[in-house]
Amino acid sequence: MMDAHEPPALPPQKRFTPRSIAEGLATLLIAAGFIMLMQPFAMVLYTYSFVVLLAGTVLFIVGSKFPG
Amino acid sequence: MSDSTPIQRLADQAAAKTPPRVVKRIRGLSDRAIAWAFITPTILLLLAINIFPLIWTIQLSFTNYRANRPNAEVENVGIQNYERILTDSDIWFAMQATAHFVFWTIALQTLIGFSLAYLIDRKFRGHAFWTTIILIPMMLSPAVVGNFWRFLYQPQIGLFNYIVSFFTGLPPSSFEMLGTVNLAPWSIIIVDTWMWTPYVMLICLAGLRSIPDYIYEAAEVDRASKWRQFWTITIPMAAPFIMLAVLFRGIENFKMFDMVNLLTGGGPGSTTEVASITLKREAFEKWRTGYSSAFAIILFVAVFGLANIYVKALNKVKNR
Amino acid sequence: MSGKSSAHSVVEPTPVTKRIAGAVVIIYALISMIPLFWIFITGFKSPPDSISYPPKIVFEPTLEGYCNLFTTRTRQTPDYIQSLPPATETCDEITRSRNMVIAGASNYLPRFINSVVIAFGSTFLAVALGTLTAYGFSRFRVPLADDLLFFILSTRMMPPIAVAIPIYLMYRELGLSDTALGMILLYTAINVSLAVWLLKGFIDEIPREYEEAAMIDGYTRLQAFVKVVLPQAATGIAATAIFCLIFAWNEYAFAVLLTSGSAQTAPPFIPTIIGEGGMDWPAVAAGTTIFLIPILVFTVLLRKHLLRGITFGAVRK
Repeated sequence: MMDAHEPPALPPQKRFTPRSIAEGLATLLIAAGFIMLMQPFAMVLYTYSFVVLLAGTVLFIVGSKFPG
Repeated sequence: MSDSTPIQRLADQAAAKTPPRVVKRIRGLSDRAIAWAFITPTILLLLAINIFPLIWTIQLSFTNYRANRPNAEVENVGIQNYERILTDSDIWFAMQATAHFVFWTIALQTLIGFSLAYLIDRKFRGHAFWTTIILIPMMLSPAVVGNFWRFLYQPQIGLFNYIVSFFTGLPPSSFEMLGTVNLAPWSIIIVDTWMWTPYVMLICLAGLRSIPDYIYEAAEVDRASKWRQFWTITIPMAAPFIMLAVLFRGIENFKMFDMVNLLTGGGPGSTTEVASITLKREAFEKWRTGYSSAFAIILFVAVFGLANIYVKALNKVKNR
Repeated sequence: MSGKSSAHSVVEPTPVTKRIAGAVVIIYALISMIPLFWIFITGFKSPPDSISYPPKIVFEPTLEGYCNLFTTRTRQTPDYIQSLPPATETCDEITRSRNMVIAGASNYLPRFINSVVIAFGSTFLAVALGTLTAYGFSRFRVPLADDLLFFILSTRMMPPIAVAIPIYLMYRELGLSDTALGMILLYTAINVSLAVWLLKGFIDEIPREYEEAAMIDGYTRLQAFVKVVLPQAATGIAATAIFCLIFAWNEYAFAVLLTSGSAQTAPPFIPTIIGEGGMDWPAVAAGTTIFLIPILVFTVLLRKHLLRGITFGAVRK
């Protein structure tokens, strides 16, 4: 623990890149899909949860290829 | 000591048996060739045992195939299986049972696990020993342990009921953890929490230990109260680790099978019939292979989506 | 460990805080050990003691549970038992006192041996493949490395029942159903993902300079791998092997769906142990105890590497 006093140097990062936007959106879709899949309120939401999940997952895979 | 590793022994044996001409050729292998030679076997195995079956499942999910009637004619039914699952209120109910299980196990495990980690991080004497003791339940076989909890939950003779009645005064035969609609979902939550709180605790502990002392020292210089330090330093700095634990427990409990199958088997009725239990009933009891393949794909896509987020969380923690 | 934080550091908790924290943690640890303690002592109870009310902590220990675990018994008339030559072994004696005689060996031992064979076989394969692959990813520029690594990890995340459907069909076609080979291949495939991720972390930590120095001395890349990297990674390989072993040892979902007889492992077998008229809890407890002891040993051996193992090598401390 010799270097514990040196704050870690963070690489300069751009906040919004095509990739971070796509991944953020994909994460939102996946989270929404999960809530839709498991919520006890409306059958319609459950029915369309799979489409949302699939869209989120595909966007995540494609989005991770975007520049950023 | 190096001579005793099995891989090395194997490599030595292989080297001894290889004719010199071949050795010469292997020696001449380029780095590129070695890289591929090292990676390909694993990829091939995974293709054979994981990806090929997955593709087969996708194909089956569009048919009405039944594994117990291999000779019956198989019809292509398009997306009918998916339509039926996504409009089936029984399956929807199973997803809600899963949600109840996932939500409460994660909530309890995070709360207890983080508290324990925080206390262990006070570094009292013997904390390493007690940490190891606490970790034991998560290493055990969920099936074997789940089976034994059935004994602890027995109404009259079970230890769990006895302890509860000792502290509350309820007669120990008056409630049945596994057989009552209201209590059965909690019985599996209790066992899962007992088993996996150590997991959350261990990861939270790593998070707490990754916070450098100088940040607290600086806060102390600024006269920030302990309470304020906790909410503005401890929690935000440990958050990526907590997230990691929550995501992984979420994935694991979303597909939970072994422990629930042995404790309640989905009963009473279908109150604890979580997704994997429903899938097993459809696939291996009713033998509706095509239909259950579609359900498997739905669960798989859900888990795969979470796994993507999980790996992103892993990378975030890795850079710390 | 504490480095700069001396006794006067503002970060160091006060003795009172420490004592309270210690007390709470120890109480939690003791409570969480109750179920395991109960499994252990139930294994030494007689069947009536095991189901007595209130639950007995003080009882006369007997090996009946262990005898019942390893044998099958048949009920006989007292006259017939009287006519037998005197019992020579403890188990004979206990069984006869219950008006029964030992009819043969139970399935527990073969199931336990299956567990050992399948766990060690799959661990060996997974670690061997995993070491090679991890080295490949660690030292060479592999195209699409991140995607391949994610693909490898995601295979471990799949719900077991979802995978079991096509595996069941595939093994039926290939004749691998209920064979040790089939289970070894399956567990290898699942464990290899963990092995690759963990070992990549361990190999990443070995400085490349070691191999480069060896190669300057005239070693080929392969020799450098065998003579320099493998010994350096020995601890990591051992830790990874124990993780794989524990997974294969504990696995239930695939085992219960894909094996039924000759290749069945202990986890699906233990819940099927039943006695005359209800569960034979001492025998179940005995079987559980024997099954859990190796894991306890492994947990203690692994304690320094546990964190790495459960985070796929991401958290290293």
